[in-house]
Amino acid sequence: MIRLWNNLKLRNTALQVAYVGGFVALVLGMALVARANLDELGIISGFDFLFKSTGWKVSFSLIEFTASDPYWRVLLVGFLNTLFLAAIGLVLATVIGVIVGMARTSSNDLARLLGAIYVETFRNVPLILQVFFWYAVFTRFPGPRQAISLADGMFLSSRGIYVPGLNITGLSAFLGIVVFLAGLGVIVWITAAQRFRRMEPARKTRLRLLILAAAALLMAAIFWLGRLPDTPLVSIPALKGLNYRGGVRVSTELTALAVSIAIYGGSYIAEIVRGGFKAVGRGQIEAAQSVGLSAWQVFSRVRFPLALRAMMPILTNQYIWLVKATTMGIAIGFADFFMVVSISINQSGQTLELIGILMAGFLLINFTLAAVLNRINRAIALKGDQLRS
Amino acid sequence: MTQSNEPAIVIRGMNKYYEAFHALRDIDLTVEQGERIVICGPSGSGKSTLIRCINRLEEHQSGDIVVLGTSLDDNVANIDGVRREVGMVFQHFNLFPHMTVLENCALAPMLVRKWSRARAEEMAMQYLEKVQIPEQAEKFPGQLSGGQQQRVAIARALSMQPKVLLFDEPTSALDPEMISEVLDVMVSLAKEGMTMLCVTHEMGFARQVADRVIFMDRGEIIEQNAPEEFFGNPQNERTQKFLSQILGH
Repeated sequence: MIRLWNNLKLRNTALQVAYVGGFVALVLGMALVARANLDELGIISGFDFLFKSTGWKVSFSLIEFTASDPYWRVLLVGFLNTLFLAAIGLVLATVIGVIVGMARTSSNDLARLLGAIYVETFRNVPLILQVFFWYAVFTRFPGPRQAISLADGMFLSSRGIYVPGLNITGLSAFLGIVVFLAGLGVIVWITAAQRFRRMEPARKTRLRLLILAAAALLMAAIFWLGRLPDTPLVSIPALKGLNYRGGVRVSTELTALAVSIAIYGGSYIAEIVRGGFKAVGRGQIEAAQSVGLSAWQVFSRVRFPLALRAMMPILTNQYIWLVKATTMGIAIGFADFFMVVSISINQSGQTLELIGILMAGFLLINFTLAAVLNRINRAIALKGDQLRS
Repeated sequence: MTQSNEPAIVIRGMNKYYEAFHALRDIDLTVEQGERIVICGPSGSGKSTLIRCINRLEEHQSGDIVVLGTSLDDNVANIDGVRREVGMVFQHFNLFPHMTVLENCALAPMLVRKWSRARAEEMAMQYLEKVQIPEQAEKFPGQLSGGQQQRVAIARALSMQPKVLLFDEPTSALDPEMISEVLDVMVSLAKEGMTMLCVTHEMGFARQVADRVIFMDRGEIIEQNAPEEFFGNPQNERTQKFLSQILGH
């Protein structure tokens, strides 16, 4: 007979019960305290405020928004702005990271030196300083009337970058982009999924190009269907009085944030890319060379696929970090999710509800991102445990 | 490109340096087509470096290397051309871990020889049968034992239908019970007339199939002879010492 406390299973069960019980008691206690405090302050908790109009405007919005629109709509504006900023920032950071990371692993001394300077400079300066720096740079550009013309219909001014846009409804723009991204997703799926492994390489390339073309065409069709009546399809920005009319204005705040996240994130991703390429065994590369593969084939069929497998788990982590870095928007007044929630708290006093919505929103974005990337990671993971290199 | 009686490999006055270290000294070596050569010597003697120069995994600094009539110089087309016709088997197998066994074998024929997937896989299956693991075709390298992986590596090299095969210590990383399954495959290739250069410490293999055994030490070819002469009557003092060390127990 074992003494009670020495029985392993009993002891584990008792610890579990104590742990769960303590956790439930803690949450319950916090809720009760909050409830009592809110009652004392006379705040009515609940989500009714979401349907009241805000009475204030936001500086940048992808969808129509006026001061008389309700709170749920301003939260949606902020959520979409965060997604938009994160999408631009992550894509640019990846592009920079791959270029700099490859430079750091190249055999060219100058490329390695430039890569090292880039990484050490931008990785070691706090992100918020970089945001302020780029914001200061972009607000020092000349005003609209002296704007720098980058190309026909593209202008750089202190109020932002003006580019040609389309006169289409917000919904069709959104749907068109979603369709195009879905097409890219299918292409990634074809590349990674087991069921397409045995397809002829040439056919696979043709299929991917076909899907890309179909997605682009479908996007164009959706844009065309959603065009605004009585306006030209393409709207080109033109100076009217003191400011530009037409086209799309990419605000100075958005530009500064996207550039900061791209440059700062790029320095981290560069190190991940470098590590990934370093992790590829010399032997696999030599084997690929010895069967006669060209330099590009060695890279695209062996070196890059193996490096990507080493990068994926760390890259997922980095992307999630960068999505959270979009909350820097509040420092320079970009209406991202965090900033609209903060203003809403000030204006409505519904602190707990709004913080709950903020947390749920970021949880939704990052959980989805992690789930997708982990799924890809699992699909391409190396199989077996007898590998040597 | 090559005449039937032309030598497969001609190396003349070849030198190789790693910075200040003189790794290979004035190597002269001619390998006839169909010849089977075993290269042995103490660790660090330059045996691996020598065969790695033959498919330009290592660059030589002076002298000439002509493989199947193509001179190895800075011309990428020449290097690629030689690699197409010269297969290599490595000590650590170096299979592509993200591809199945069949894909490992069919990759280069599809990309380099421009064969259809069907044709490349059919040929690959033939070579997997030759190394006696067709049943593993759909597995990944990490799911096979060392001996099986090395046999896949031989099938991968054969799938390009090379005229010359280089073996760089193919059994040194294997557990003892797996060495014979790899050696059996190499013996059958040798009997079929494949031109082979093997860096190996398997002296039994050398006695059985080699036309010529080459002994290297400190970057030089010290002695070369037919196996009976080489093992029975070694001329050089260093060869005698080496042989007494590896055969002495």
